Amino acid sequence: MEIPFVVNARKDTGLFNSKVGIWLFLASEVTLFGGLFSGYLFLRLFADFPWPERTLPVLPGLINTFVLIGSSVTVVFAWAALKMREWRKFQIHMSITLACAALFMVLKGIEYNAKFHHQAVRLSGGSPVEDFAVIEGHVHKVKLEGDHLVHADKNDQEAFYANQLIFKAESVTFALKRPAHEAYLQMILDQAPEGVEITLADDYKVGGEVILEKGEPLSVEMMDQLEAAYLDAISKDTKIRTAFEKASWKWIRDEKGVTEQGTYVVEMDLWKERRKEDVKNYSPLMLRAPAEAEFAISAPFNLRLDPDDVPPGLRGDSQMTLRDDTVIKGQLLESPIVMAVDAIDFRHTAMRAEKEGIDPMKAIESSWVLTHQPKGHGVEHSENTLKKAWECHQAWLSFETERLEKKGRKPTDQDKYRINWDQMIAYQQLDFDPQKVRSASDDGTLYETHLFDLSGFAGANHDKHHFPEVEIPREKVGFESTFTPKWNTYYAIYFTITGLHGLHVIGGAIVLGYYLFFGRKMYESNPEWLANRVEVGGLFWHFVDLVWIFLFPILYLM
Amino acid sequence: MAGSIEEVKKAKKLYLFIGTLLFVFTVITVLVATVEWLDFGDHGFDGIDATIGLAIATFKASLVMLIFMHLNHEKGLIYFFYGLAIFMAAACMILIGWTKADPIRDGNWERADGFYNLEKPATKPEH
Repeated sequence: MEIPFVVNARKDTGLFNSKVGIWLFLASEVTLFGGLFSGYLFLRLFADFPWPERTLPVLPGLINTFVLIGSSVTVVFAWAALKMREWRKFQIHMSITLACAALFMVLKGIEYNAKFHHQAVRLSGGSPVEDFAVIEGHVHKVKLEGDHLVHADKNDQEAFYANQLIFKAESVTFALKRPAHEAYLQMILDQAPEGVEITLADDYKVGGEVILEKGEPLSVEMMDQLEAAYLDAISKDTKIRTAFEKASWKWIRDEKGVTEQGTYVVEMDLWKERRKEDVKNYSPLMLRAPAEAEFAISAPFNLRLDPDDVPPGLRGDSQMTLRDDTVIKGQLLESPIVMAVDAIDFRHTAMRAEKEGIDPMKAIESSWVLTHQPKGHGVEHSENTLKKAWECHQAWLSFETERLEKKGRKPTDQDKYRINWDQMIAYQQLDFDPQKVRSASDDGTLYETHLFDLSGFAGANHDKHHFPEVEIPREKVGFESTFTPKWNTYYAIYFTITGLHGLHVIGGAIVLGYYLFFGRKMYESNPEWLANRVEVGGLFWHFVDLVWIFLFPILYLM
Repeated sequence: MAGSIEEVKKAKKLYLFIGTLLFVFTVITVLVATVEWLDFGDHGFDGIDATIGLAIATFKASLVMLIFMHLNHEKGLIYFFYGLAIFMAAACMILIGWTKADPIRDGNWERADGFYNLEKPATKPEH
């Protein structure tokens, strides 16, 4: 059977089949992205923290906008070439379109990668308002020397990022009620130094029978065995209990009978007595397998735990509970976050101070960031560089305020309470000297917008610039994350929308690539049909461009 | 579009022109957001900047839809599909605006159970 209107349009609608299809699909896409945009609007309007305004480096987004607009032009040219039966030109234009798609994804990858390696720490504690200062930067690599962290080379085999919890483990107890997370088990086994033995602390007995003997070394297989034995035992126990309960109900029915409504009739005391007897009778039969298995560690060793694996509420000085209920006993060592700081943000502290009716600047001045005595990898630094950076910022701010006042304007909260990475570089280049910053501000030589500075293409370049270092004690860390959806709702919606958009780019590129690489046969037999297909694929591609046209200003410029 | 060869030839020039326009307006969007003398309203980002940015984006999107997606050549049916979709998307946004104006929702930031109260975290219901 021949399907009508695949090549030629229907007279009344002026459409061929696939065009109706793609427009319906695009309509559903509009609602999908519309929902996400409204989600963005909701999160932004009701945000209970200072929204990260104009926070992404503009250049990658700008180039990506050009790339997508360019590819929109080439895809429509590819369609025009087919209409004019110019296969060669079609190939060229379509290839450029695909190259643009690839470039877009590469740039997106660079941008995402920068976010995944960029750390943020929000502080906690402090007075008169809670110190919600945010420190942003790159976490250093360190290694352990005895019980102390020391600075390590990036490529050092033993080096790890200095945001881990260091815990001297003395014993570990696995919960058997739920399967132990094998990755955690493996992590403990991997980190145990050679010669250290992790062995079962006591015989594991089920109903008198020894399943595993004391001293058995920890392994994934033995945990499976323990879990299986435990599950088996509680299943048997449950069956015994159920059998007794059944018998009791039966006894009531037979002895006391059932009312017309089908309800058992029994005196409460009689029933309680019966149940008590039941418990007495079945108790000796129960296997009562222990719900946990403790392992002794022959010589305590330093275990590095990812903070994500130990929820903050389950951290203690002598005990850590992992997400799978595994309990590690021992002693928490000093586990600071050591990082190079490229930005400091006091906006949240200022916001909370204003709410309390306290002068924001006073609240900021009592922040740990400005008041702490710096330490670094065990070496005492004599000065607090962050405090000097803040003084430089004040010098710049006084200049900026005067300059804006002449125009009848005021500095924004971002100007006042945030030291951005380009400012940090500028201050650092002037040796963190407030006077130099002020005179450089007056001369207009302080810093440019860095919009087209390729060294900071996707954020601060830590290879090129040296940023002040800070060691944040664990107890001051309120919340820490890389710039992933976890950090705040802005990044959550940023990754959701751009991720979904990226998937659309990949999907569209696959379809257009199919026409380019496998379209020749159709071109020879029915070129108009191929042209229609390319038009429909192109419509989708334009839609992808259209979404980006909104995403770029909303996420990068607002 | 119907797309006779002459029409397509003519349209190619238009596509190039529209492509250039889109480039130009992208640059304008960035300039409005980054250059101080193009910063309207208060200093820094504010509602006026948002309106300008979104107006330019809407204009650019209209160009893409009308010219690249050939909406200027299409008949009513597609406008119906698209109109319906845009209505739905707009409804999502309006609902949020509506929530913001809702006295029950917005007048209760200090609700007793602390649900909207930033200072006192919501307490767990007791069982």
